[in-house]
Amino acid sequence: MAVLEIRNLKKYFATQKAVDDISLSIEEGMIYGLLGPNGAGKTTLIRMITGIFFPDEGEIFLDGKKFDPLNDTIHIGYMPEERGLYKKMKIGEQALYLAQLKGLSRSVAMEKIKEWFVKLEMQSWWNKKVEDLSKGMSQKLQFVITVLHNPKLIILDEPFSGLDPVNSNLIKDEIYKLARNGSTIIFSTHRMEQVEEICTNIALVNKGKKILDGTVKDIKQDFKENLFSIGAEQFPASMNGNAPFETVSIREQLSVVRIKDGNKPNDVLKYLIQQGATIHSFNEILPSLNDIFIRLVEGTPAAREFQNISTSPKS
Amino acid sequence: MRKILLIIKREYLTRVRKKTFIITTLLFPILYLGLVFGTGYIAEKTRANLHVAIIDSSGYFTNALLEKQNIQDNSSLLTLVQLKPGEKEFNYDSSGFDAYLVIPPLDWQKGNSNIDLRAKKSYGPEATALVDAKLNRIWDEIKNDSLKIDAVKQQIMQTSRLGLHFINITDPKANAKFANAIGLACGFLIYFIILIYGSQVMMGVMEEKTNRIAEIIVSSVKPFQMMLGKIVGIALVALTQFLLWIAFIFIIYNITKVSGHSDSVNSLVGGIQQVMTSINIPMILFCFAFYFLAGFFFYSSIYGAVGSAVNEDVREAQSLSFPITMLVIISIVMMTAAISDPTGPIAFWGSIIPFSSPIVMMARIPYGVPGTVPWWQLGLSMALLIGGFIFTTWFAGKIYRTGILMYGKKPTWKELIKWAFRKS
Repeated sequence: MAVLEIRNLKKYFATQKAVDDISLSIEEGMIYGLLGPNGAGKTTLIRMITGIFFPDEGEIFLDGKKFDPLNDTIHIGYMPEERGLYKKMKIGEQALYLAQLKGLSRSVAMEKIKEWFVKLEMQSWWNKKVEDLSKGMSQKLQFVITVLHNPKLIILDEPFSGLDPVNSNLIKDEIYKLARNGSTIIFSTHRMEQVEEICTNIALVNKGKKILDGTVKDIKQDFKENLFSIGAEQFPASMNGNAPFETVSIREQLSVVRIKDGNKPNDVLKYLIQQGATIHSFNEILPSLNDIFIRLVEGTPAAREFQNISTSPKS
Repeated sequence: MRKILLIIKREYLTRVRKKTFIITTLLFPILYLGLVFGTGYIAEKTRANLHVAIIDSSGYFTNALLEKQNIQDNSSLLTLVQLKPGEKEFNYDSSGFDAYLVIPPLDWQKGNSNIDLRAKKSYGPEATALVDAKLNRIWDEIKNDSLKIDAVKQQIMQTSRLGLHFINITDPKANAKFANAIGLACGFLIYFIILIYGSQVMMGVMEEKTNRIAEIIVSSVKPFQMMLGKIVGIALVALTQFLLWIAFIFIIYNITKVSGHSDSVNSLVGGIQQVMTSINIPMILFCFAFYFLAGFFFYSSIYGAVGSAVNEDVREAQSLSFPITMLVIISIVMMTAAISDPTGPIAFWGSIIPFSSPIVMMARIPYGVPGTVPWWQLGLSMALLIGGFIFTTWFAGKIYRTGILMYGKKPTWKELIKWAFRKS
């Protein structure tokens, strides 16, 4: 069953259709990548899911029930892109306060904080203030605060920015663990290599509309250009008209070819063997998410232009 | 509700635990007392004790009379001198005097209202008034001697007087003299509390916005709860500070009452007792608590809204909060008018209209309820103020909700009002 289901969500601001009719369905245990260029409407969409904004139109279902911002916040953990903590407050007290605001009781909150602080080696931080922490350290703290109350749905906006590789991996492992234990994670970022590594599913948002969603695997298949890289000796320098492929590039012993419509990889191999080539590698080249992203989003102005929306400008 | 309590608790504890809270709580009364007594003390210390030469052409003034007064009152020293023959202008400063005066030939029955005290530089009015008083005491003795009024008769003339005392028939406890002082003190206290703690609310909201913690908190609680929690928490801080001051006063009063036997302490204790019995203390305390809280809520919610609308720039906050601060200052100006005429039109309207009523009404109440301030006026003022702060809190809540997550250009008041009245 879908943990989070969004139906026809709309949010218009005075000069922009920030979110324009987006529907999504996210299953339990998924690590879901929410992608899109700057100003695409990701933050607005997330703010509606976390109950910060009310949608103009459309519905949000959490666990099959209609989302109730007042009582459901305990089930959601949100780490905004711009990190925020009280600079002058002690770290232990701060974590305790924010956990209690989420709805945990003092004793439970205390227990969870200690558990997480041990897990991420933060025990000595308790009486320090946030202003004493480095950027990476406060990032870790922010992550702990986000997931402390064991939320069903965790929304992370650029969670790795500012983290060194060691801490990045630490957090990544925790994200995997959380997903294995049944939490669903929405992951918003521009870093495509991280998305490819972590996410099982993605949605691409541009100009307030969803332009693509599905599993990473399927999307790559959909966008593949039938390109293969072939490592071969005696690669034929010229092809006759009935070759089942065209050569895109040849560099030393590695060639990139595009298979012509109606042919299969086996046809390519057959042809090459007939031509006397010695093949030692044959790989399909799938497009990276980065390429797909750029292809789909190219042509969008860097910032969305301001439009006048005359149809019922509500907030 | 539990979440609001959590926010209140945090806002309260983080402020009360700060060193600055303890320091200002201790320092403010000391500074205040220093201001009141210090200026009096300095004025006393720096007043010139004039040494004045008297050149008497009337023949009434004798060394014996002057000597007697100089012993009784050392605030100035009067010395009789003779002009040397041929000397036109008395060269007082070379003889060690600060000034001199010439008594012209005169008739003791008529006197002379034009005697000049001459000096090359100017002295303060207090110093010359003391010389004037002393000179007239000497003149009184001269008249008494001439009229043959003996000590017994003088005693009768001095002590037998008609004293006029104003009584407010509806409220016999009202005492204009004390009412004036207490009204002024209450009005100024509320003024300070609104300005100081109102700006604390504003800075607190700005801090949350620029730290971006607002976004994390509003994903747990409603923005309105967040704002309300902050305002109530800070109101409690103000209340704590205020109660501590009352406790100080009580302790100091009791210490001086027990330990002091000197005249000045006795008169101070007596004075406080007189104040306590001559005004309606429970009434004033109740009204003070009401106007303090209601006035604070009225203004601090708007200050909070301003804090939510601006970015980290303090100057933006100052320019946007200027109209609000202006209202508080206008209130204090109206209060000074109300205190000298507590039933006049400024006093009436000022104490009814919500924005100025916390300060102006508090200045009128010590004059007596229902004597000076009828019950209906007090009731109307309170009802309007409650309505007022409910409105401003609602209004501010709307602005706050939009402003706290809005970054970029500083909005104008026009835009803020648009945010507030937009449908949600």
